[in-house]
Amino acid sequence: MSRSVQYTSSPLLASRTPVWRSKFVVGAIALAFSGLAARAAYIQVFANDFFQRQGEVRFARTLELPANRGRILDRNGLILASSVPAPSIWAIPEDVEVDKAQLQKLSKLLEMPVGELSKKLEDDDKTFVWIKRQVDADIAKQIAALNIKGIYQRKEYKRQYPEGESAAHVVGFTNVEDNGQEGVELLFNKDLLGRPGLRHVIKDRLGRAVEDVGEVVQPVAGRDLQLSIDSKVQFFAYQKLREAVVTNRAQAGSVVVLDAVTGEVLALANYPSYVPDKRHNLTGAQLRNRALTDTFEPGSVMKPFTIGLALDTGRVKPGTIIDTAPGSVTITGATIRDSHPHGALTVEQVIQVSSNVGTTKIAMQMQPSEMWNTFSQAGFGQKPQIQFPGVVSGRLRPSKSWRPIEQATISYGYGLSASLFQMARSYTVFSHDGQIIPATLLKSSEPAVGVAVFSPATAAAVRKMLQMAAGPGGTGPKAQTLGYSVGGKSGTAYKQVGKGYGSEGNRKYRSWFVGIAPIDIPRVIVAVMLDEPSAGKYFGGEVAAPVFSETVQQTLRMMGVQPDMAVRPQIVANTVEESF
Amino acid sequence: MMRLNLVLTLAVVASAVYLVSVQYESRRVFTELDKARAEARHLDTEFERLQVEKRSQATPARVEKLAREKLQMRQVTPAITTYVTYSDVAVHDASTGAVK
Repeated sequence: MSRSVQYTSSPLLASRTPVWRSKFVVGAIALAFSGLAARAAYIQVFANDFFQRQGEVRFARTLELPANRGRILDRNGLILASSVPAPSIWAIPEDVEVDKAQLQKLSKLLEMPVGELSKKLEDDDKTFVWIKRQVDADIAKQIAALNIKGIYQRKEYKRQYPEGESAAHVVGFTNVEDNGQEGVELLFNKDLLGRPGLRHVIKDRLGRAVEDVGEVVQPVAGRDLQLSIDSKVQFFAYQKLREAVVTNRAQAGSVVVLDAVTGEVLALANYPSYVPDKRHNLTGAQLRNRALTDTFEPGSVMKPFTIGLALDTGRVKPGTIIDTAPGSVTITGATIRDSHPHGALTVEQVIQVSSNVGTTKIAMQMQPSEMWNTFSQAGFGQKPQIQFPGVVSGRLRPSKSWRPIEQATISYGYGLSASLFQMARSYTVFSHDGQIIPATLLKSSEPAVGVAVFSPATAAAVRKMLQMAAGPGGTGPKAQTLGYSVGGKSGTAYKQVGKGYGSEGNRKYRSWFVGIAPIDIPRVIVAVMLDEPSAGKYFGGEVAAPVFSETVQQTLRMMGVQPDMAVRPQIVANTVEESF
Repeated sequence: MMRLNLVLTLAVVASAVYLVSVQYESRRVFTELDKARAEARHLDTEFERLQVEKRSQATPARVEKLAREKLQMRQVTPAITTYVTYSDVAVHDASTGAVK
């Protein structure tokens, strides 16, 4: 056997092929196969991640499941703020094909001039342009019906505030990204925001989801927030305040209504205000939540605390006579005056006629530290426990630094500062049997637990004085309201004009009234402040007390409180005989 | 032996076809479910939108304005209210046309 293969018997081809050639071919093919096998193993076993990912990119999609922002409700469950779908319109300018008629219709629907619109659509450099963000759902539907090529919609949500400007400062607003910017929206942003969910799906050629891959992360909707605000009380308080600001030609005003039993804020309004849905050209004056952020010297509103302390420590009794003649008193060289000289007054009358001299004489019997303690307990100079953007704590200097004249002025409300909200809350001392109770913006059904400042007897005695002050012969008889007994203190202060308090005829005032009703079993505390009333009248008892009166009237009626005072009925008997 | 193989082959083919059709059906049903879910979400948000709409048509501001201007109503005061309590029902005269 020779060592070659005889392929043919033809002698022409009888050249002898060397064996190594066929072996070489077999070897080369084997090598190629093993190369393929190695590559296959590499692709399928060692480096399959890349290819799997590439595959997934082509059919798997991750969908975000949006979480709804929680609603804000009032105490009766009425909506103060809620998110509604408001699609945003966008376009790819180079793809846009639009004729004149369509453009006309589009500009009409979007309330946007044709020029502006076509300018946006002609910007060929951009591949994406917002045309209008967050349009009404109805309008979006109509735009979709126009069926213009290159114009698309993106699902977005928009906050709506049905209550409008009356509750604007409390509720606040969100920005276009649905994040809280002001008020409760900002304060409770974390609670209101939900957590969006995730979902992996396989999509088919037509973009339909055909299969879930892996676990679905369910979205967590934001928590609904129920406030203590009563939207009706809020509206009436705002309405009365607005009327008063307009008729008195004031710069601004605030009103706070507190539930005297639970410490809940029933209403908190400021004027000027704004419509939260339409925030073009907002000014700082409109945005300002004055009831919480503006501080001023509380003036006569402080007197009941000074007198209350004197009563509580047994230094005076309601009937103790204080001689205020001749209507002035001098302390370390400085003279304190009453607006009218009064002569001898009982302690009750000191509050009734709001005598600075009487209050000073009582205050000078006390230690500054005692006064500081009481005022601090009542919340003056303390950080308000109510959390709110921009809330201030006011100012009450430590008692060690009080000079005698300062002790005197602080006793009747000058030389310290507080916000209207703090003043309203401080009066829970009188309405809640001598206890200060925490104020809250969230609905609570339980009576608040307070910290005792005065004894219940002192609180009752001061309430009686407050009633006298708001009655005939007092400083705020205009606070009287039909059917309900009221009590409260008015205050008026010069505002600083330049370096001093302005000259006669050029003065600026701030006027306020803080009161309680009904006086025997208090249910509400109402505080009203007007800034720079300039229509002639400016005393707190003249301009702020009427707002107090009307707000109390409406609030108590809506709370279903029966009048505690006799009212002459004006019901005309219906003489027409009718059978129902 | 040959016959058994044939039967098994047919069985495999039938099973494969069935699998494909089941998979197809399941995807179709899933798509429908998905659509229904989207519709439910849509209706939910629509409901929310209408609630807000309803609320904004019934704000105190609007009610007050309509009551005052269209219906010529006025504000209730204690003077034109008869308060009815359980203890002294007899005191109040029912014919006065109680307002409250």
